[in-house]
Amino acid sequence: MSCRVGVDIGGTFTDFVVYEPENGRLWTFKRFSTPDDPARAVLEGIQSLPSPPGEIVHGSTVATNALLERRGARTAFVTTEGFRDLLHIGRQHRSELYDLAARKPEPLVPRAGCFEVPERVGSDGQILRPLPAEALESLLEALGRYGAEAVGVCLLFSFLRPEHERQVGARLRQAGLYVALSSEILPEFREYERASTTVASAYVAPVLDRYLSRLEEALGGLRFRVMQSNGGLIRTEEVRTQAVRCALSGPAGGLIGARYVAGLGGVHNLITFDMGGTSTDVALIAGELPLTTGGSIDGLPIGVPMLDIHTVGAGGGSIAAVDPGGALRVGPRSAGADPGPACYGKGGEAATVTDAHLVLGRLSGEWFLGGRYPLDPRAALDVLERLAREAKLEGAGELSPAEVAALGVLQVAHAHMERALRVISVERGHDPRDFVLVCFGGAGPLHAAELARSLGIRHVLVPAQASVLSALGMLAADVRRDYVQTVMLSGPIPRGELARRFIPLLQQAFRDLRREGFPRSAMILERVLEVRYAGQSYTLSVPFNRRWRAAFEEMHQSAYGYADPTAAVEITNLRVHATGLGSPPRLPEIERGSTEPERTALLEKRPLVVEGDKIVVPLYDGLMLRAGNRICGPALCVRPDTTIYLPPGSTGAVDSTGNLWIELA
Amino acid sequence: MDAVRLEIFRHLLASVAEEMGAVLQRAAFSPNIKERRDFSCALFTAQGELVAQAAHIPVHLGAMPLAVQACLEAFPDLQPGDALLLNDPFRGGTHLPDLTLVHPVFSGDRLWGFVATRAHHADIGGMSPGSMPLSREIYQEGLIIPPVKLLRAGQLDTAVWDLLLANVRTPEERTGDLRAQLAAGRRGVARFGELIDRYGAELESAMEALLDYTERLMRRFLEGLPAGTYRFEDALDDDGLSEDPVPIRVAITLTGGEAIVDFSGTAPQRPGNLNAVRAITVSAVYYVFRALIGFDIPANSGCLRPIRVLTPPGSVVDARPPAAVAGGNVETSQRIVDVLLGALAEALPDRVPAASQGTMNNWTIGGWDPFRGRYYTYYETLAGGAGATPDRGGTSAVHTHMTNTLNTPIEALEYAYPFRVRRYAIRDGSGGRGLHRGGDGLVRELELLAPAQVTILAERRRLRPYGLHGGEAGAPGKTVWIHRGRARTLPGKISFWAEAGDRIRIETPGGGGWGAEHRHRTGKGPREPDQGSRVK
Repeated sequence: MSCRVGVDIGGTFTDFVVYEPENGRLWTFKRFSTPDDPARAVLEGIQSLPSPPGEIVHGSTVATNALLERRGARTAFVTTEGFRDLLHIGRQHRSELYDLAARKPEPLVPRAGCFEVPERVGSDGQILRPLPAEALESLLEALGRYGAEAVGVCLLFSFLRPEHERQVGARLRQAGLYVALSSEILPEFREYERASTTVASAYVAPVLDRYLSRLEEALGGLRFRVMQSNGGLIRTEEVRTQAVRCALSGPAGGLIGARYVAGLGGVHNLITFDMGGTSTDVALIAGELPLTTGGSIDGLPIGVPMLDIHTVGAGGGSIAAVDPGGALRVGPRSAGADPGPACYGKGGEAATVTDAHLVLGRLSGEWFLGGRYPLDPRAALDVLERLAREAKLEGAGELSPAEVAALGVLQVAHAHMERALRVISVERGHDPRDFVLVCFGGAGPLHAAELARSLGIRHVLVPAQASVLSALGMLAADVRRDYVQTVMLSGPIPRGELARRFIPLLQQAFRDLRREGFPRSAMILERVLEVRYAGQSYTLSVPFNRRWRAAFEEMHQSAYGYADPTAAVEITNLRVHATGLGSPPRLPEIERGSTEPERTALLEKRPLVVEGDKIVVPLYDGLMLRAGNRICGPALCVRPDTTIYLPPGSTGAVDSTGNLWIELA
Repeated sequence: MDAVRLEIFRHLLASVAEEMGAVLQRAAFSPNIKERRDFSCALFTAQGELVAQAAHIPVHLGAMPLAVQACLEAFPDLQPGDALLLNDPFRGGTHLPDLTLVHPVFSGDRLWGFVATRAHHADIGGMSPGSMPLSREIYQEGLIIPPVKLLRAGQLDTAVWDLLLANVRTPEERTGDLRAQLAAGRRGVARFGELIDRYGAELESAMEALLDYTERLMRRFLEGLPAGTYRFEDALDDDGLSEDPVPIRVAITLTGGEAIVDFSGTAPQRPGNLNAVRAITVSAVYYVFRALIGFDIPANSGCLRPIRVLTPPGSVVDARPPAAVAGGNVETSQRIVDVLLGALAEALPDRVPAASQGTMNNWTIGGWDPFRGRYYTYYETLAGGAGATPDRGGTSAVHTHMTNTLNTPIEALEYAYPFRVRRYAIRDGSGGRGLHRGGDGLVRELELLAPAQVTILAERRRLRPYGLHGGEAGAPGKTVWIHRGRARTLPGKISFWAEAGDRIRIETPGGGGWGAEHRHRTGKGPREPDQGSRVK
């Protein structure tokens, strides 16, 4: 078999990871992204390979960007008579509590693009009002007048009785429109979330289709898969009918990559920490990938399972400033890439997190990004001196006011991130001390060790492929499909009855995986019940087996502090998670060395501000470290794409594939 | 405390309140708490000052500290593991369905502070299902709970528990929701305790510093406003018993970084249920200033230090026992916001929007569900039009000001109750005209599948949401009962029995317009006389 290629499109670079299964060779490269036509960078990269690849696995931001930038197809919305304004009413709340203008997110379809059909299904699945065939013809006419290219259809209770939706869908597809049916996209109750998801699918489908077709045509008959928001792969043919499943495809690769690299080191409980220029993404993986069905993009609910990633508006470019009450705030404003932090020397005048690192000596002006972009320490010092004056911060001991301010900026940035890490761990019943912090993204490794310490985390992993982790994740991912059916069962429910109701979902899953080319031995089909006490609105997901009820009580106890085995429960949804096991690449080993790094690995000794002291610490070249090397903090380690900070009391160990494991005392 | 520590503690304390909210929302039973998120969680100092509150429901903001004060007065001898329950509007509550749980936080035997949760329960007994009745005295509204110990040193007082559950229509749901509140409180106590262990005395000074910080921010904001006295008057349609409007009058005096908000001249409390206790009025004042600041300041008591709120005792903005108060929280609070904003429109013409719908359109339906074989109570509020602002039209079909609860999804509703939703739509043309149009209200029509008692508590059925600077008023709301094929318009406040097959349609008010419309006159009359007005 020829090589497999993982491709991840980022804002600045498009990353490629190439794996040759015959000889176990793995190599990576980057090309500048081409935002006006993202396919161009991908094609150029693929065409630069010595031989055509056998399979391409791709993380695409095309769907995400279409949603964020509102550049999707001209889309219409069709629903049950009486409910045309479903998308515009939403859940009737405003996004911000103290917003006197009471703004809501703008739906993807304007009101003029919302249409009704005369029909109604009841909550028991009975057809209360049949859909007349003539209605479809007038609908088609209206859609034509509107100029719709794509249509999202969401009729009330269609997840119980999809006939009407299917009739609408069949007629519209016959007429050549892109159609997304809610009973196919998200067959579960809560009409607004289902409608929103369905419309988003219709909205991005034509854009994604054009993009994929372009790649497919240019690349001939390659095997081509795309990363979904749930962290599993999907074939391009299916993307076209379930486009919304790729709505948050980008960040999924990083999580899979982190999980894969950590797993090779025997670590299965991890918290990922991906810090970029304007924001930081965190996620918690307790063995399984964390999925949520309560996600949203740009305020619009997307109900299909997505990896549960929490984002905070603090990154390397976040601006630090003193507010009118005298508190030092960091973010949410960001200097972005242009002008960027003051030390980029492109005219940025605000103090940023990156400037603070430079003032403290944690970033090195000469070695930043492999020396390709020298930083201006003077500019950083100027803005932090000004910040110190504004914040009325004084020097302390050996430290200048600017250095005190810089430490303060980092502490505040950490407070933001700690809060985010608490949301995904403590708030959901996990103790962060049981987890390893895996960091990637340009700025992550500068913060990770200190942040870990404040949360009681003992181990930090900086993967060797930190800068292309997402593309590596594409190659490590499994094929994954999720199936759901709302059932609303209550009272005593015989297990046999439940098992019977799972059968159609299992059959569908089996057929789909076989079509993807998986033998039975490489399939995992998991049955999951969504359970709640009768009367609750939110459910917990428990594996369906003999002791599902007991598992539910335990989970409820641990999440909410109480359980009631005598109370009636309701099963809202049945879900099947189907996995076709992938064959992840072997990571290349690096040369072995002794405990002590080679002398050539030591670039220089430089002054560094550490917890109120100024000391001289070693700065290592990450590429010159050998397996088995140990580094004692305080120390710095630069790689072409990132800088790793090891605080006092920490020890770093390089493993056989070049990952750095930091242990905190 | 320096600029850095201040910001760090702001995050730490806010995250405790948020975490409590996450627990409460996920563990609760009733759609009202889970789907609609009608609850709040907060942290307090040992003296009962609010230091952090998760951004949930504004009407709880100024009111929660009074709950803690009431508990401190009732129980000077609190123990670790205690939890106090209350809903008495005259002793720390707002209206009876809002049950508040207060947990003292100890380290050793020293009291460090409190955490509290407040949630709107769908029923607390009284004369009609949903406990939002058209009452004449508070005793008709449900079970009154003064501060009582629900937990004693961690042990549940089953006598209190059983007494409570015996007085409500849906005891299973109350059990689940109260347990969820207890779980959230326990989480708050644990997290607060961790902060005490980690920071010790620094935490105490940090709480004080955060209150001072917020006070500074508020003073800075007030200093920037033009000094003077700004007056406004608007009125509630009626109290549901007579047809007389209920005027609310305010004079806001801004001087040197302070504000005096004086409600003198406001109507005396009325026999109907629209009386608001002072806690609600203070919350409304807090909300208005907090929203106008346009800056993310901590939700804490420091915010109110530079603001004096004067309320005439025994008025509809400071009711005394045994006044009926069920509607004060939900309706009068909105009108209080309207008069505050109306007055401030003169001081801040480029910030203040025209009046929003000014009501929550409360409807409560309860009865026997023959399909599911159980008694049920459904309570919901309906969004309406938001007032246009100086730079944009008003949002349509959105909750404004003192509430921000979500709707119950149609499919969730039909699964749970014997109803069928016939229509849920934006009410076109209901927003007031103007340079910027007011947002439109909405229409929700339900068909009852079984006989039920229906209670409507709604405002702005006659007196319309005002426009500003030449913008027109929004359309008033309307309630229609379709009984045996005949449609009847109902008054804004009514309770009645309806039959299976009857339909009830609520059309909610539109928001006021902002600025004079540049257009040829279309025959619409001059500014309506029945909207709020500046008092000379």
